[in-house]
Parts: sequence; C-alpha cells; structure tokens
Amino acid sequence: MEVAVQTMGLTKAYGSTAALDSLDLSVKRGEILVLLGPNGSGKTTLLHLLATVLKPTKGTATVMGYDIVKQPLQVRETTGISFQEPRGFWRHKPYHILSFHASIYGIEGGERRRIVDETLEAFDLWPSRNKRFMELSGGQGKRLEVAKLFIQKPAVAIFDEPTAMVDLEGKRMIWDKIKELKESGTTVIIATNEVREAEYLADRLTIMKLGREVVTQSLRALKDSISGGDIVEVQFSTPATPAMVNALTRLPGTVRVVPDAENTLKAFVDRSEDWLPVMMTAVQQLQTKVTSIRVSEPSLDDVFLHYTEVLV
Amino acid sequence: MLALLRFELREAFDSVPWTVYYWIFFAFQYFIYGQLVSRLVVNLSDYYTYYGTGLLIIMTFNISTWAGRRFVEGAHEGRLRYVLSLPFTRGELFLEQVLLGLVVNVVRIGPPLVLILYVTRLPAYTLATSLAVLLGMSVGIMGIMIALSFVAFKSFDIYSAIVAGMSAILIRFSTILYPLNFMPSAYAAPAQVNPLTYGADLLRSALNIDVSAMANPVLSGFVVLAVGACTLTVGMALVPRALEGVKSS
Repeated sequence: MEVAVQTMGLTKAYGSTAALDSLDLSVKRGEILVLLGPNGSGKTTLLHLLATVLKPTKGTATVMGYDIVKQPLQVRETTGISFQEPRGFWRHKPYHILSFHASIYGIEGGERRRIVDETLEAFDLWPSRNKRFMELSGGQGKRLEVAKLFIQKPAVAIFDEPTAMVDLEGKRMIWDKIKELKESGTTVIIATNEVREAEYLADRLTIMKLGREVVTQSLRALKDSISGGDIVEVQFSTPATPAMVNALTRLPGTVRVVPDAENTLKAFVDRSEDWLPVMMTAVQQLQTKVTSIRVSEPSLDDVFLHYTEVLV
Repeated sequence: MLALLRFELREAFDSVPWTVYYWIFFAFQYFIYGQLVSRLVVNLSDYYTYYGTGLLIIMTFNISTWAGRRFVEGAHEGRLRYVLSLPFTRGELFLEQVLLGLVVNVVRIGPPLVLILYVTRLPAYTLATSLAVLLGMSVGIMGIMIALSFVAFKSFDIYSAIVAGMSAILIRFSTILYPLNFMPSAYAAPAQVNPLTYGADLLRSALNIDVSAMANPVLSGFVVLAVGACTLTVGMALVPRALEGVKSS
C-alpha cells in the first residue's frame, strides 16, 4: 500500500485544549478519505496542519513523503486546500482569482486562459466571472473556493466542507468533479458533516471525536461493525410464537428478536447476508413459511452516532 | 512571490479615487494650510518647505500603517490563511508584504514629492535620495506594524488601540512638524529618542533644507536603517509563529 499522507502522533494544542490529540492516521495514494466528526472534533485543524497553514505542537506528518514541519514548502507544492469558508480577495473577480491561482502553480499564457475558462464553465461561474468576489452569493463563493483545486490538480487535494452553502445540483456536480479528480490520480481528503456526501464519496471514512481518531474503515466495514446493526423484518404465514422467537434468537449473528406484528418478527443481526440463509433453514423446522422479508442496514447516521456516542 | 505582489497590487489600486484622494489631500494641506501656518512661524526661515516635508512623512507613516493593518485584516478576513497555503516561504511572504507597502508608497507619495521639489526648485537628484529616505522610514514603520500583528491575532481592538496611540505619540513627539530647538524640553526629550525624528531630519538633509538644528545625517541614516532592519527581523521571527499557532505549544 503506497501511503500519500501519514500522521505520527500529530498534536495541536491551544493552551490546555488539544484540538488534535496524538493522531496516527494514514491515507492511501489515490483514495478518497472522508473525515466525519462532530463540531470541534479536530477535522479542520488536521486539514490546516496537513496544508502547513498551522504547525503542530507535537508529532508530525508526511504528505507525499515530505515532512510538514521540516519540508513545508515541498508540502505546499504538492498539496492544495479548499477552505471551509470562502473568504479572501474581496475586490477581485473570479476570473482573476483563478488565474492568479493557476500562475502560482506554473500554469501560464494561453494554457492558463483555457483552463480558467473551462473551470469557470464547469463550476457554473462563467456568468459571474466579472463580478467582484464580495458580490458573489455564498454558494458561488464556495464553488470558486473549490474550483481552485481543479485548476491546480494537486497530488493531495484537501477539501473542508466542499459543498456547504451549495445547492443540490451544485453538490452533485462538485461530488462528481471530486471523483474525477480521484480518477486522475489525486489523493483526496475531505472533512464534512454531511453524511450523504461521505456516503457518496468515501473510499474510507475516519470518524473523529475530541481530536482523536475513533475508527477508520470502509463504509461497508463500518456498517458491518455495528453489532445488530442490520434489521430483518420476517413475516410468517402463521402468527409468531415464543418458540419462533427463541429459535431465531439462538441463530448465530442474532443480537435480539422482538415481535413486531401478529405474523412478524423483527430481528437485529450483525450481517443480514450471513444470517438470512441460516434463518431460512431454521424456519423449515418451525412448521411455518416465510411470506416476506424486509432488510434494512444501518445508515451512516447510525454508524456515526454509534461511534461518537457509544465508543468514546 | 512576484505573482502574489502583482495580484495584491491590483487590489490595492483597484480604487483609483482613493489614490487621487491622497494627492488632493496633500495639495490641499500643502497649498492652503501650509501657506497659512508658515506665515505664523516667523522664527524659522522656510517653514513652508519644512511643513511640506513633514506632510510627506505623515503620509508615508499613514500608508505604511495601512500596509501593516492590511496584513492583519488579511488574517481576519481569511485571505492570509489562503496565502499561507501557497508555495512560498514565510520569509518570502513577509518580504512581499513589505514590497507591496513600498510600491503603494511610491505611487501615493511620489507625485507630492515631485510637487515639493518643483515648488521649492530643489535639484532633481534629491528626488531619488529623498524617496529612498521615505521608503527606508516606511520599511521601519511597516516592520513595527506587522510585528505588532501578533497582538491582533488575540484582539483586533487592542491592536487598533495600540496602533492609534503609537501613531499619535510617534508623530507628535518628533521633528516632523517642528524642529527640535523649537520644542519645550518636555517634548524635546522624547523626540530625541524617536526614530521618526531621525527619519525626518535625514529627509530634510537629503533635500538640502537648513540642517543646522538637525541630527547628524550619518547618525540619522544609521538609525533609519537599524530600525528598519530590527523591526523586519523581529516581525519575521514573531509573526509566522503567531500565524501558525506555534506560540500555543
């Protein structure tokens, strides 16, 4: 596994408060890692440290092999960050802001004009290209902030709440663009509070709380990791009896079984895909038939709440 | 770094009326108020020119203060955070801010300086020397203002109060508007340790204005250079630490 970003005991303290507390995290090359966590969990601090906007109090990290403390300039050359709040050059126009960003990363002349024009079009900013930054709406400002990274195409792209303030259509466009960026080989790190965004984009998710990593897994593994997270509603041809409840409760992977309606039992199981075949076999011995099955898996909301409220 | 300088200059000169306002302000002060006040001062042979140069120094001070303040505002508005993520060293960024202030100074005080030289029929070469002195002073003032910006990261109000108080004291307790030997002793004592006194005297030396009552130009030149170098060094040491939150460790 080639590592793009590796943090080692990364700590950032403000006085006696640790915004980030001895974080050990690695991001694989070419993956999208999404950071989820409640407010104040240290997501933005981590992103600012990786972009060398802040310096760590303790520990360090490497970005594409460069140390953020010892080689900050090389880190800045390989990294791009889209900040949470679109702020900055109030009097400048989107065209000039993107053009400036391109020139900083060595894109010059006709190539720069072409890329800036294309990016303005792609991010639906072409009609606003000659407005001042301060005249843009919140959503337009945010799209401009995000667009900078698509001009730069860095080796590691860092997005802090990339679709906050953006309308639904814009969100989908930005998500697709981020996926395209990943396809082109960029490693992407995203901090978000939006669960749908995380589900859509993440190869792996890191859940953070109080400046610490709680868990890092793929979405599938996270959902599977919740004991009794899958809910299976089984409807029978006959009324559900205590014997049926006991039989299902004894099956491997069952966490609990409760009656739901006259003919229906609701089973909380670890992995429904493993549990269902076993359940079907067991039901044959109960002298009843299954007439309907409905499976629902835990949402990322459930996973998030599980890890941030239960485990920490 | 030059790309950033060009970009920020575009913003600084975005408002043409603001630059023109500086020139109108100078012309108004110089031609009207300067004429009136110079008639009141009878003990100095050419107070009109003395006043004009004082006015130039005040403009330099104000523009340099603006450059420092702009740096601080950049931190509050989020502009600085973006710039910090770009591939420049902190030293380059600091230097770029100083260059920005110098270019703005040249554009805004250049025409008034030429006007004074024309009115007083001073030789053309004094334009270069006097501009160099003003820019040297500007570096020192910007260095102080930027170095103080670490205060602003805690409280912008405290920073504003310190800058306003310091500006008032530095300008008034100096030879910007009146020579040392005209001052009451209570004023003269602090003025003699005020770097602006040395800058003002050096400027007047560069313009060949009567230097009898002024500090030694060599000493003045040394003070201006030393203050500029010291404040820049202190600023470059303090500010990145404050910006990157290292102080919090």
